[in-house]
Amino acid sequence: MALKLRKYINGSVKICIKGAMPEKFINLCVAERIYLWGLSKENEDLYAWIELSDFYRIRPLVRKSYTQVTVKGYRGWPFLAKRIWRRKMLVLGAIMCLITIQILASYIWFVDVVGTKATSPLKIAEVAQEYGLKPGVLKDTIQSKRIENAILIAIPEVSWVSVNFTGTRVVIEVVEKTLPKQDDKAPANIVSDRDGIITEMIALAGQPAVKKGDTVRKGDILIKGVAPLIAPVTPEQAAQSAPQIAPVQPVKARGIVKARVWYESYGEAALQQTTTERTGRQETEVLLHFGGYVMALKRAPQPPFELYESEITNKRLPQWRNSQLFVESTIQVYYELQAFPQEISVEQARDEAKARALQSVQQIIPESAQILARNIEILKLNEPNLVRIKVGVETVEDIGISQMISQ
Amino acid sequence: MQRRQKGILQNIAQRLDIPQDIVLDLPRITMLGNKQLLIENHKGIIEYTSSLVRVKLNQGELYVHGHNLLLGNLQTEQILIEGTIAEVKYGT
Repeated sequence: MALKLRKYINGSVKICIKGAMPEKFINLCVAERIYLWGLSKENEDLYAWIELSDFYRIRPLVRKSYTQVTVKGYRGWPFLAKRIWRRKMLVLGAIMCLITIQILASYIWFVDVVGTKATSPLKIAEVAQEYGLKPGVLKDTIQSKRIENAILIAIPEVSWVSVNFTGTRVVIEVVEKTLPKQDDKAPANIVSDRDGIITEMIALAGQPAVKKGDTVRKGDILIKGVAPLIAPVTPEQAAQSAPQIAPVQPVKARGIVKARVWYESYGEAALQQTTTERTGRQETEVLLHFGGYVMALKRAPQPPFELYESEITNKRLPQWRNSQLFVESTIQVYYELQAFPQEISVEQARDEAKARALQSVQQIIPESAQILARNIEILKLNEPNLVRIKVGVETVEDIGISQMISQ
Repeated sequence: MQRRQKGILQNIAQRLDIPQDIVLDLPRITMLGNKQLLIENHKGIIEYTSSLVRVKLNQGELYVHGHNLLLGNLQTEQILIEGTIAEVKYGT
Protein backbone atom coordinates (compact mmCIF):
# COMPACT_ATOMS: atom_id res chain seq x y z
CA MET A 1 0.00 0.00 0.00
CA ALA A 2 2.75 2.39 0.96
CA LEU A 3 4.64 1.35 -2.13
CA LYS A 4 1.63 2.06 -4.33
CA LEU A 5 1.22 5.45 -2.73
CA ARG A 6 4.88 6.25 -3.35
CA LYS A 7 4.54 5.19 -6.96
CA TYR A 8 1.51 7.43 -7.34
CA ILE A 9 3.15 10.45 -5.76
CA ASN A 10 6.39 10.09 -7.68
CA GLY A 11 4.62 9.23 -10.91
CA SER A 12 5.32 6.25 -13.08
CA VAL A 13 5.97 5.81 -16.81
CA LYS A 14 5.22 2.84 -18.99
CA ILE A 15 8.03 2.33 -21.43
CA CYS A 16 8.43 0.07 -24.42
CA ILE A 17 11.89 -1.34 -24.93
CA LYS A 18 12.84 -2.42 -28.42
CA GLY A 19 16.05 -4.01 -29.48
CA ALA A 20 17.94 -7.25 -29.83
CA MET A 21 18.64 -7.73 -26.13
CA PRO A 22 16.07 -6.11 -23.87
CA GLU A 23 17.21 -8.44 -21.11
CA LYS A 24 20.51 -6.62 -21.06
CA PHE A 25 18.76 -3.39 -20.43
CA ILE A 26 16.88 -5.00 -17.55
CA ASN A 27 20.04 -6.30 -16.00
CA LEU A 28 21.67 -2.91 -16.30
CA CYS A 29 18.66 -1.35 -14.58
CA VAL A 30 18.87 -3.90 -11.80
CA ALA A 31 22.54 -3.17 -11.40
CA GLU A 32 21.81 0.56 -11.24
CA ARG A 33 19.12 -0.13 -8.60
CA ILE A 34 16.43 1.18 -10.87
CA TYR A 35 13.16 -0.31 -9.81
CA LEU A 36 11.09 -1.90 -12.58
CA TRP A 37 7.75 -3.59 -12.28
CA GLY A 38 4.90 -4.98 -14.31
CA LEU A 39 7.20 -6.25 -17.05
CA SER A 40 5.53 -8.05 -19.92
CA LYS A 41 6.56 -9.13 -23.34
CA GLU A 42 4.46 -8.88 -26.45
CA ASN A 43 5.95 -9.79 -29.82
CA GLU A 44 9.56 -9.06 -28.99
CA ASP A 45 8.65 -5.74 -27.38
CA LEU A 46 9.22 -5.47 -23.68
CA TYR A 47 6.94 -3.23 -21.69
CA ALA A 48 7.84 -2.12 -18.22
CA TRP A 49 6.82 0.43 -15.63
CA ILE A 50 9.43 2.70 -14.24
CA GLU A 51 9.38 5.54 -11.78
CA LEU A 52 9.43 9.01 -13.27
CA SER A 53 12.59 10.03 -11.37
CA ASP A 54 14.35 6.92 -12.66
CA PHE A 55 13.21 7.61 -16.21
CA TYR A 56 15.77 10.41 -16.57
CA ARG A 57 18.54 8.07 -15.45
CA ILE A 58 18.07 5.31 -18.02
CA ARG A 59 19.45 7.20 -21.03
CA PRO A 60 23.06 5.91 -20.65
CA LEU A 61 21.73 2.41 -20.02
CA VAL A 62 19.70 2.54 -23.21
CA ARG A 63 22.80 3.55 -25.15
CA LYS A 64 24.85 0.81 -23.58
CA SER A 65 22.33 -1.94 -24.29
CA TYR A 66 21.60 -0.83 -27.88
CA THR A 67 17.86 -0.58 -27.34
CA GLN A 68 15.26 2.04 -28.07
CA VAL A 69 12.90 3.19 -25.40
CA THR A 70 9.58 4.87 -26.10
CA VAL A 71 7.01 6.11 -23.63
CA LYS A 72 3.66 4.32 -23.84
CA GLY A 73 1.80 5.75 -20.92
CA TYR A 74 2.05 7.54 -17.66
CA ARG A 75 0.24 7.62 -14.38
CA GLY A 76 0.52 9.47 -11.12
CA TRP A 77 0.34 12.78 -9.42
CA PRO A 78 3.00 14.74 -11.40
CA PHE A 79 1.09 14.16 -14.64
CA LEU A 80 -2.23 14.96 -13.04
CA ALA A 81 -0.72 18.12 -11.58
CA LYS A 82 0.49 19.11 -15.02
CA ARG A 83 -2.97 18.63 -16.50
CA ILE A 84 -4.54 20.57 -13.70
CA TRP A 85 -2.02 23.35 -14.19
CA ARG A 86 -2.93 23.47 -17.85
CA ARG A 87 -6.57 23.98 -16.86
CA LYS A 88 -5.99 26.13 -13.82
CA MET A 89 -8.99 28.32 -14.57
CA LEU A 90 -11.29 25.34 -14.15
CA VAL A 91 -9.79 24.60 -10.75
CA LEU A 92 -9.93 28.26 -9.85
CA GLY A 93 -13.60 28.33 -10.83
CA ALA A 94 -14.36 25.27 -8.71
CA ILE A 95 -12.60 26.82 -5.74
CA MET A 96 -14.39 30.13 -6.27
CA CYS A 97 -17.69 28.27 -6.46
CA LEU A 98 -17.02 26.54 -3.15
CA ILE A 99 -15.96 29.80 -1.55
CA THR A 100 -19.06 31.56 -2.87
CA ILE A 101 -21.32 28.84 -1.52
CA GLN A 102 -19.51 29.01 1.80
CA ILE A 103 -19.92 32.78 1.95
CA LEU A 104 -23.55 32.74 0.90
CA ALA A 105 -24.30 29.98 3.36
CA SER A 106 -22.90 32.01 6.22
CA TYR A 107 -25.61 34.65 5.82
CA ILE A 108 -29.20 34.54 6.95
CA TRP A 109 -31.60 34.52 4.05
CA PHE A 110 -34.96 33.87 5.63
CA VAL A 111 -36.50 34.48 9.02
CA ASP A 112 -39.57 32.42 9.81
CA VAL A 113 -41.80 32.77 12.83
CA VAL A 114 -43.64 29.61 13.83
CA GLY A 115 -46.30 28.95 16.41
CA THR A 116 -47.97 32.33 16.78
CA LYS A 117 -51.70 32.50 17.27
CA ALA A 118 -52.78 35.77 18.80
CA THR A 119 -49.64 37.83 18.30
CA SER A 120 -48.61 38.72 14.81
CA PRO A 121 -45.46 37.06 13.49
CA LEU A 122 -44.45 40.45 12.07
CA LYS A 123 -44.24 41.87 15.55
CA ILE A 124 -41.88 39.12 16.68
CA ALA A 125 -39.82 39.48 13.53
CA GLU A 126 -39.60 43.20 14.24
CA VAL A 127 -38.21 42.62 17.72
CA ALA A 128 -35.75 40.13 16.29
CA GLN A 129 -34.73 42.68 13.69
CA GLU A 130 -33.99 45.22 16.38
CA TYR A 131 -31.47 42.79 17.81
CA GLY A 132 -29.91 42.18 14.43
CA LEU A 133 -31.76 39.10 13.26
CA LYS A 134 -32.86 39.86 9.72
CA PRO A 135 -32.15 38.56 6.24
CA GLY A 136 -28.71 39.51 4.97
CA VAL A 137 -26.92 39.33 8.32
CA LEU A 138 -23.93 37.13 9.04
CA LYS A 139 -24.91 34.09 11.04
CA ASP A 140 -21.97 34.39 13.41
CA THR A 141 -23.10 37.78 14.65
CA ILE A 142 -26.39 36.41 15.93
CA GLN A 143 -26.59 35.64 19.61
CA SER A 144 -29.68 33.53 19.72
CA LYS A 145 -29.89 33.52 23.52
CA ARG A 146 -29.94 37.31 23.61
CA ILE A 147 -32.66 37.49 20.96
CA GLU A 148 -34.72 34.87 22.74
CA ASN A 149 -34.57 36.90 25.93
CA ALA A 150 -35.33 40.12 24.09
CA ILE A 151 -38.44 38.64 22.49
CA LEU A 152 -39.57 37.27 25.84
CA ILE A 153 -39.24 40.68 27.44
CA ALA A 154 -40.64 42.72 24.57
CA ILE A 155 -43.72 40.61 23.94
CA PRO A 156 -45.45 39.56 27.15
CA GLU A 157 -47.80 37.16 25.36
CA VAL A 158 -44.89 34.88 24.59
CA SER A 159 -44.03 32.32 27.23
CA TRP A 160 -41.30 30.40 25.44
CA VAL A 161 -39.22 31.15 22.39
CA SER A 162 -36.36 29.47 20.60
CA VAL A 163 -34.19 30.75 17.76
CA ASN A 164 -32.90 27.95 15.58
CA PHE A 165 -30.69 27.92 12.51
CA THR A 166 -31.48 25.47 9.77
CA GLY A 167 -29.02 26.28 7.03
CA THR A 168 -29.65 29.81 5.83
CA ARG A 169 -33.09 29.87 7.43
CA VAL A 170 -33.76 31.05 10.95
CA VAL A 171 -36.83 29.63 12.60
CA ILE A 172 -38.18 31.54 15.58
CA GLU A 173 -40.40 29.12 17.39
CA VAL A 174 -42.87 30.68 19.76
CA VAL A 175 -45.25 29.33 22.35
CA GLU A 176 -47.83 31.81 23.55
CA LYS A 177 -49.28 32.24 26.97
CA THR A 178 -52.96 31.68 27.32
CA LEU A 179 -53.95 34.89 29.05
CA PRO A 180 -57.22 35.11 30.94
CA LYS A 181 -59.85 36.90 28.93
CA GLN A 182 -59.90 40.51 29.96
CA ASP A 183 -63.27 41.87 30.87
CA ASP A 184 -64.27 44.84 28.87
CA LYS A 185 -64.82 47.52 31.45
CA ALA A 186 -65.96 50.17 29.01
CA PRO A 187 -69.41 51.52 29.76
CA ALA A 188 -72.10 49.84 27.72
CA ASN A 189 -75.86 49.54 27.45
CA ILE A 190 -77.76 46.36 26.90
CA VAL A 191 -79.96 46.71 23.86
CA SER A 192 -82.49 44.44 22.29
CA ASP A 193 -81.45 42.11 19.54
CA ARG A 194 -84.99 41.20 18.39
CA ASP A 195 -88.57 42.30 18.64
CA GLY A 196 -90.44 40.73 21.53
CA ILE A 197 -92.31 41.00 24.79
CA ILE A 198 -90.22 41.10 27.95
CA THR A 199 -90.86 38.17 30.27
CA GLU A 200 -87.96 38.50 32.62
CA MET A 201 -85.75 41.40 33.60
CA ILE A 202 -82.79 41.00 35.94
CA ALA A 203 -80.39 43.95 35.92
CA LEU A 204 -77.08 43.11 37.60
CA ALA A 205 -75.45 46.42 36.77
CA GLY A 206 -77.05 49.54 35.39
CA GLN A 207 -80.59 50.80 35.41
CA PRO A 208 -83.42 48.85 33.75
CA ALA A 209 -85.12 50.88 31.05
CA VAL A 210 -88.03 48.54 30.41
CA LYS A 211 -90.11 46.33 32.63
CA LYS A 212 -91.78 42.98 32.39
CA GLY A 213 -94.58 42.94 29.85
CA ASP A 214 -93.21 45.74 27.72
CA THR A 215 -93.01 45.32 24.01
CA VAL A 216 -89.56 46.12 22.64
CA ARG A 217 -88.27 46.55 19.14
CA LYS A 218 -84.88 45.67 17.87
CA GLY A 219 -82.32 48.23 19.03
CA ASP A 220 -84.24 49.50 22.07
CA ILE A 221 -82.21 50.07 25.23
CA LEU A 222 -83.07 47.45 27.83
CA ILE A 223 -80.60 48.27 30.60
CA LYS A 224 -78.93 51.65 30.78
CA GLY A 225 -75.24 51.63 31.57
CA VAL A 226 -75.37 54.20 34.35
CA ALA A 227 -75.18 53.98 38.09
CA PRO A 228 -76.05 56.77 40.54
CA LEU A 229 -73.05 58.24 42.31
CA ILE A 230 -73.45 57.70 45.99
CA ALA A 231 -71.88 60.74 47.58
CA PRO A 232 -71.41 61.02 51.31
CA VAL A 233 -74.65 62.69 52.21
CA THR A 234 -75.17 64.55 55.42
CA PRO A 235 -78.70 65.49 56.43
CA GLU A 236 -78.02 69.21 55.86
CA GLN A 237 -76.59 68.64 52.43
CA ALA A 238 -79.47 66.38 51.59
CA ALA A 239 -81.88 69.09 52.53
CA GLN A 240 -80.04 71.64 50.45
CA SER A 241 -79.48 69.63 47.31
CA ALA A 242 -82.70 67.72 47.23
CA PRO A 243 -84.00 69.10 43.94
CA GLN A 244 -80.76 68.46 42.15
CA ILE A 245 -80.57 65.53 39.80
CA ALA A 246 -78.32 62.82 41.15
CA PRO A 247 -75.08 62.69 39.23
CA VAL A 248 -74.54 59.46 37.32
CA GLN A 249 -71.53 57.43 36.48
CA PRO A 250 -71.34 55.37 33.30
CA VAL A 251 -70.88 51.64 33.90
CA LYS A 252 -71.01 48.52 31.85
CA ALA A 253 -74.56 47.24 32.11
CA ARG A 254 -75.01 43.57 32.85
CA GLY A 255 -78.13 41.59 33.21
CA ILE A 256 -80.50 38.98 31.85
CA VAL A 257 -83.40 40.11 29.74
CA LYS A 258 -85.66 37.39 28.47
CA ALA A 259 -88.46 37.94 26.03
CA ARG A 260 -91.03 36.11 24.01
CA VAL A 261 -90.09 36.19 20.36
CA TRP A 262 -92.08 35.05 17.31
CA TYR A 263 -90.63 33.60 14.21
CA GLU A 264 -92.36 32.87 10.97
CA SER A 265 -91.37 30.95 7.93
CA TYR A 266 -92.82 29.45 4.84
CA GLY A 267 -92.29 26.32 2.78
CA GLU A 268 -93.88 24.79 -0.27
CA ALA A 269 -93.84 21.53 -2.20
CA ALA A 270 -95.21 20.55 -5.57
CA LEU A 271 -97.26 17.43 -6.14
CA GLN A 272 -95.81 16.93 -9.59
CA GLN A 273 -92.08 16.71 -9.43
CA THR A 274 -89.37 15.78 -11.85
CA THR A 275 -86.10 14.20 -10.93
CA THR A 276 -83.18 13.79 -13.29
CA GLU A 277 -80.65 11.05 -13.61
CA ARG A 278 -77.55 10.62 -15.70
CA THR A 279 -78.04 8.15 -18.52
CA GLY A 280 -74.35 7.37 -18.81
CA ARG A 281 -73.82 8.92 -22.21
CA GLN A 282 -71.33 11.74 -22.23
CA GLU A 283 -69.44 14.05 -24.55
CA THR A 284 -66.04 15.56 -23.80
CA GLU A 285 -64.67 18.84 -25.05
CA VAL A 286 -61.00 19.72 -24.64
CA LEU A 287 -59.88 23.30 -25.15
CA LEU A 288 -56.39 24.68 -24.93
CA HIS A 289 -56.02 28.30 -23.97
CA PHE A 290 -52.75 29.71 -25.08
CA GLY A 291 -52.32 33.34 -24.19
CA GLY A 292 -55.39 34.93 -25.72
CA TYR A 293 -56.02 32.15 -28.20
CA VAL A 294 -58.25 29.16 -27.78
CA MET A 295 -57.51 25.96 -29.57
CA ALA A 296 -60.01 23.13 -29.58
CA LEU A 297 -58.40 19.75 -29.38
CA LYS A 298 -61.75 18.02 -29.26
CA ARG A 299 -65.13 19.56 -29.80
CA ALA A 300 -68.53 18.42 -28.63
CA PRO A 301 -71.69 19.09 -30.65
CA GLN A 302 -73.60 22.12 -29.39
CA PRO A 303 -75.92 21.47 -27.69
CA PRO A 304 -74.60 18.01 -26.89
CA PHE A 305 -77.88 16.60 -25.54
CA GLU A 306 -81.43 17.66 -25.10
CA LEU A 307 -81.01 17.66 -21.35
CA TYR A 308 -77.56 17.75 -19.83
CA GLU A 309 -75.30 18.94 -17.08
CA SER A 310 -71.61 19.64 -17.42
CA GLU A 311 -68.46 19.46 -15.37
CA ILE A 312 -65.47 21.66 -16.10
CA THR A 313 -61.92 20.78 -15.13
CA ASN A 314 -59.25 23.42 -15.49
CA LYS A 315 -55.64 22.45 -15.68
CA ARG A 316 -53.06 25.16 -15.53
CA LEU A 317 -49.31 25.28 -15.50
CA PRO A 318 -47.95 26.39 -12.16
CA GLN A 319 -47.42 30.11 -12.03
CA TRP A 320 -43.73 30.17 -12.66
CA ARG A 321 -41.89 33.25 -11.53
CA ASN A 322 -43.69 36.22 -13.03
CA SER A 323 -44.14 34.59 -16.35
CA GLN A 324 -46.96 36.08 -18.31
CA LEU A 325 -47.13 33.02 -20.48
CA PHE A 326 -50.53 31.65 -19.73
CA VAL A 327 -51.38 28.15 -20.81
CA GLU A 328 -54.50 26.49 -19.60
CA SER A 329 -56.48 23.50 -20.69
CA THR A 330 -60.17 23.14 -20.10
CA ILE A 331 -61.86 19.79 -20.13
CA GLN A 332 -65.60 20.03 -20.21
CA VAL A 333 -67.64 16.87 -19.84
CA TYR A 334 -71.32 16.89 -20.75
CA TYR A 335 -73.51 14.25 -19.19
CA GLU A 336 -76.84 13.39 -20.74
CA LEU A 337 -79.74 13.53 -18.31
CA GLN A 338 -83.10 11.92 -18.32
CA ALA A 339 -86.13 13.39 -16.60
CA PHE A 340 -88.45 11.26 -14.51
CA PRO A 341 -91.79 12.87 -13.67
CA GLN A 342 -93.00 11.89 -10.24
CA GLU A 343 -96.29 12.35 -8.51
CA ILE A 344 -96.54 12.40 -4.74
CA SER A 345 -99.52 12.38 -2.46
CA VAL A 346 -100.83 15.47 -0.70
CA GLU A 347 -99.63 14.14 2.66
CA GLN A 348 -96.11 13.65 1.36
CA ALA A 349 -96.06 17.08 -0.19
CA ARG A 350 -97.28 18.58 3.06
CA ASP A 351 -94.54 16.88 5.04
CA GLU A 352 -91.97 18.07 2.60
CA ALA A 353 -93.17 21.64 2.71
CA LYS A 354 -93.30 21.52 6.48
CA ALA A 355 -89.76 20.21 6.69
CA ARG A 356 -88.55 22.98 4.45
CA ALA A 357 -90.32 25.64 6.44
CA LEU A 358 -89.00 24.30 9.76
CA GLN A 359 -85.53 24.04 8.40
CA SER A 360 -85.49 27.65 7.33
CA VAL A 361 -86.85 28.86 10.66
CA GLN A 362 -84.40 26.75 12.62
CA GLN A 363 -81.53 28.63 11.07
CA ILE A 364 -82.68 31.91 12.61
CA ILE A 365 -83.53 30.68 16.11
CA PRO A 366 -80.53 30.80 18.45
CA GLU A 367 -79.59 27.54 20.12
CA SER A 368 -80.19 28.83 23.63
CA ALA A 369 -83.78 29.71 22.83
CA GLN A 370 -86.53 27.82 24.54
CA ILE A 371 -89.34 26.93 22.19
CA LEU A 372 -92.77 27.51 23.66
CA ALA A 373 -95.09 26.75 20.82
CA ARG A 374 -95.05 25.76 17.20
CA ASN A 375 -97.90 26.62 14.93
CA ILE A 376 -98.19 24.99 11.55
CA GLU A 377 -100.72 26.31 9.11
CA ILE A 378 -101.59 25.05 5.66
CA LEU A 379 -102.39 27.93 3.39
CA LYS A 380 -105.55 27.24 1.47
CA LEU A 381 -105.14 28.59 -1.98
CA ASN A 382 -106.73 27.45 -5.15
CA GLU A 383 -103.68 25.75 -6.58
CA PRO A 384 -104.05 22.06 -7.37
CA ASN A 385 -100.36 21.32 -7.79
CA LEU A 386 -98.86 23.09 -4.80
CA VAL A 387 -98.95 22.77 -1.02
CA ARG A 388 -97.97 25.87 0.94
CA ILE A 389 -97.14 25.74 4.65
CA LYS A 390 -96.64 28.53 7.08
CA VAL A 391 -94.85 27.84 10.36
CA GLY A 392 -94.91 30.11 13.36
CA VAL A 393 -92.61 29.46 16.31
CA GLU A 394 -92.78 31.15 19.65
CA THR A 395 -89.72 31.14 21.86
CA VAL A 396 -88.37 32.64 25.03
CA GLU A 397 -84.81 33.77 24.77
CA ASP A 398 -82.24 36.21 26.05
CA ILE A 399 -82.47 39.14 23.68
CA GLY A 400 -79.96 41.47 25.32
CA ILE A 401 -76.68 42.29 23.67
CA SER A 402 -74.03 44.63 24.92
CA GLN A 403 -73.55 47.84 23.02
CA MET A 404 -70.82 50.34 23.83
CA ILE A 405 -71.94 53.77 24.83
CA SER A 406 -70.36 56.07 22.31
CA GLN A 407 -68.74 58.99 24.07
CA MET B 1 40.39 -25.85 -1.61
CA GLN B 2 37.20 -23.94 -2.34
CA ARG B 3 35.14 -27.09 -2.18
CA ARG B 4 36.64 -27.93 1.14
CA GLN B 5 35.94 -24.47 2.48
CA LYS B 6 32.36 -24.76 1.38
CA GLY B 7 32.02 -28.08 3.06
CA ILE B 8 33.32 -26.60 6.30
CA LEU B 9 31.02 -23.63 6.06
CA GLN B 10 28.06 -25.91 5.43
CA ASN B 11 29.05 -27.99 8.39
CA ILE B 12 29.28 -24.96 10.66
CA ALA B 13 25.97 -23.59 9.37
CA GLN B 14 24.25 -26.87 10.09
CA ARG B 15 25.68 -27.04 13.54
CA LEU B 16 24.91 -23.47 14.45
CA ASP B 17 21.45 -23.65 12.91
CA ILE B 18 22.08 -20.64 10.66
CA PRO B 19 20.05 -20.50 7.41
CA GLN B 20 22.20 -21.95 4.70
CA ASP B 21 21.22 -19.48 2.00
CA ILE B 22 22.97 -16.69 3.85
CA VAL B 23 26.10 -18.61 4.57
CA LEU B 24 26.43 -20.27 1.20
CA ASP B 25 25.03 -17.42 -0.93
CA LEU B 26 22.28 -19.63 -2.38
CA PRO B 27 19.16 -18.34 -4.06
CA ARG B 28 15.93 -18.64 -2.13
CA ILE B 29 13.07 -19.60 -4.41
CA THR B 30 9.55 -19.25 -3.09
CA MET B 31 6.58 -20.43 -5.10
CA LEU B 32 2.99 -19.62 -4.50
CA GLY B 33 1.03 -22.36 -6.23
CA ASN B 34 1.69 -21.99 -9.90
CA LYS B 35 0.91 -18.27 -9.86
CA GLN B 36 3.92 -16.58 -8.37
CA LEU B 37 7.57 -17.37 -8.15
CA LEU B 38 9.88 -15.22 -6.07
CA ILE B 39 13.61 -15.59 -6.60
CA GLU B 40 15.84 -13.87 -4.09
CA ASN B 41 19.58 -13.49 -4.46
CA HIS B 42 19.70 -13.75 -8.24
CA LYS B 43 22.41 -12.59 -10.61
CA GLY B 44 20.30 -11.14 -13.42
CA ILE B 45 18.04 -12.15 -16.26
CA ILE B 46 19.41 -13.99 -19.25
CA GLU B 47 16.25 -14.27 -21.30
CA TYR B 48 12.68 -13.20 -20.91
CA THR B 49 9.71 -14.07 -23.09
CA SER B 50 6.11 -14.67 -22.14
CA SER B 51 6.66 -18.43 -22.09
CA LEU B 52 10.19 -18.69 -20.67
CA VAL B 53 12.24 -16.82 -18.14
CA ARG B 54 15.91 -17.67 -17.64
CA VAL B 55 17.44 -16.31 -14.48
CA LYS B 56 21.14 -16.40 -13.77
CA LEU B 57 22.05 -17.76 -10.38
CA ASN B 58 25.25 -18.33 -8.45
CA GLN B 59 25.53 -21.84 -9.75
CA GLY B 60 24.08 -22.12 -13.19
CA GLU B 61 20.68 -20.80 -14.15
CA LEU B 62 16.99 -21.34 -13.51
CA TYR B 63 14.53 -22.06 -16.31
CA VAL B 64 10.95 -21.11 -15.66
CA HIS B 65 8.52 -22.36 -18.29
CA GLY B 66 4.88 -21.35 -18.43
CA HIS B 67 2.63 -18.96 -20.24
CA ASN B 68 1.63 -15.30 -19.84
CA LEU B 69 4.67 -14.79 -17.70
CA LEU B 70 5.18 -11.30 -16.32
CA LEU B 71 7.91 -9.86 -14.21
CA GLY B 72 5.93 -8.24 -11.49
CA ASN B 73 8.83 -6.83 -9.57
CA LEU B 74 12.42 -6.44 -10.54
CA GLN B 75 15.00 -5.41 -8.00
CA THR B 76 18.59 -6.12 -7.24
CA GLU B 77 17.64 -8.60 -4.56
CA GLN B 78 14.62 -10.26 -6.02
CA ILE B 79 12.60 -11.11 -9.09
CA LEU B 80 8.91 -11.81 -8.93
CA ILE B 81 7.57 -13.88 -11.81
CA GLU B 82 3.81 -13.92 -12.21
CA GLY B 83 1.59 -15.86 -14.58
CA THR B 84 0.93 -19.55 -15.02
CA ILE B 85 4.08 -21.49 -14.23
CA ALA B 86 4.40 -24.98 -15.69
CA GLU B 87 7.94 -25.98 -14.99
CA VAL B 88 10.91 -24.88 -12.93
CA LYS B 89 14.21 -26.38 -13.87
CA TYR B 90 17.86 -26.01 -12.83
CA GLY B 91 20.42 -25.95 -15.51
CA THR B 92 24.14 -25.59 -15.41
